[in-house]
Amino acid sequence: MKRAIILVVNGTEHSVEVQPSDLLVDVLRDRLRLTGTKKGCGTGECGACTVLLDGKPVNSCLLLAIRCEGRQITTIEGLGTPDSLHVLQKAFIDNGAVQCGFCAPGMLLSAKALLDENPAPSEMDIRQALAGNICRCTGYVKIVKAVSSAARTMSGAEGGGR
Amino acid sequence: MLPRTLYIRPSDLTKALEALEEHGPGARVIAGGTDLIPSMRARTQLPSCLVDIQGLGLDTITRTDGFVRIGAACTFSELARSGIIREMFPVLREAASAIGAVQTRNLATIGGNLSSAVPSCDSAPALYVLKARLTLISLRQQRAIPVEEFFQGPRRTVLAPAEILAWIDVPVPPDRSGSAFLKIGRRKALTLAIVNAAASVCLAKDGSTVEDATISLGAVAPTPLRARKAEALLKGCTWSEELVKEAAWVASGETSPISDIRASADYRRELCKVLVRRALTHAWKRALGGDQR
Repeated sequence: MKRAIILVVNGTEHSVEVQPSDLLVDVLRDRLRLTGTKKGCGTGECGACTVLLDGKPVNSCLLLAIRCEGRQITTIEGLGTPDSLHVLQKAFIDNGAVQCGFCAPGMLLSAKALLDENPAPSEMDIRQALAGNICRCTGYVKIVKAVSSAARTMSGAEGGGR
Repeated sequence: MLPRTLYIRPSDLTKALEALEEHGPGARVIAGGTDLIPSMRARTQLPSCLVDIQGLGLDTITRTDGFVRIGAACTFSELARSGIIREMFPVLREAASAIGAVQTRNLATIGGNLSSAVPSCDSAPALYVLKARLTLISLRQQRAIPVEEFFQGPRRTVLAPAEILAWIDVPVPPDRSGSAFLKIGRRKALTLAIVNAAASVCLAKDGSTVEDATISLGAVAPTPLRARKAEALLKGCTWSEELVKEAAWVASGETSPISDIRASADYRRELCKVLVRRALTHAWKRALGGDQR
């Protein structure tokens, strides 16, 4: 029983027909072709599929797309562009926080939600905010460093970070 | 891909109950979905119809005379953030913060956590020591029961078909009382408890006699439990480290843990002693007023 819904992704309205059982991660990737959001475990444990729902990080593999109507969805495609990187993306590159890159979209969105709420997080704040995002390459040290350096850049540059 | 299902978003609680009634035993309530969606994916739950209870006004935390009413659809993020919870029930804030990770807590609800009824459920021990009451609603009746009477076994509760856990009433704790929650898992986030424990202590006016104490343990029996023998041991006695140690031993003896992939039964029994001692001590400090947070 398909239903037509409107999803607001990165500020753009998309009209899609979905089954009630369609997961947000699948609709984003397969229907809207926003493949920056990764599908890892599919059970809400790895964080690769993290998107922001009304500004808060959630696992898009645990969310039925049909329940996201009328909510603001932010994916990694909404964070920055190759020509104009978000401060966090720049910091991840500068600090060597990306290796295979599979966890990076989710990491970046969790980090963005943290900095939106807490512009000067401690190392413990950062580790707790990223606890739901698993990285198998970096050992996390450089990711934590990148988030902390982005926080400094954003608080230093007035209104920085887009 | 999830198995196909119907989806209903009712406009109020009555319509939700009607939908559950109409669609029969195959209908399931969906709140946060963090447990239900993976179960559907694993085909361990195959609901014919999902009835969404978000947006029905069951997501508020309100202070009334003598108790605080927590809507069953409150997320753990909302609980962890709430000023009322932080001020009055630090034990519940600790349990809420121990669940999953940020992403999970932004979706998962306290009502869902209870209704899933896994033995390691983190919110239950906190609600046990706070002596919370649950209100269950169906089209035919509304009943309130002590939280301890809710669980029947792993993944089994007293909820009848077409009945919803609607809200949780938590009495305001008496003066000179404190409570605390602790959890040990394989890691600090996104993990089920190997053992979790909560305790509350209420001191007499003299500041050293234990007027009342409650101890609850999770993941060490088919349902979360109250360690009543240990509680009885504490009551009326003068607080001492020796007394607390003894109570923790007794509490451990009241459990019936199993060995599984997370830990052995022996390890769980040892953990019970440590966690009960720590939770009681922490609760006692809060009762003394030295540590509110």
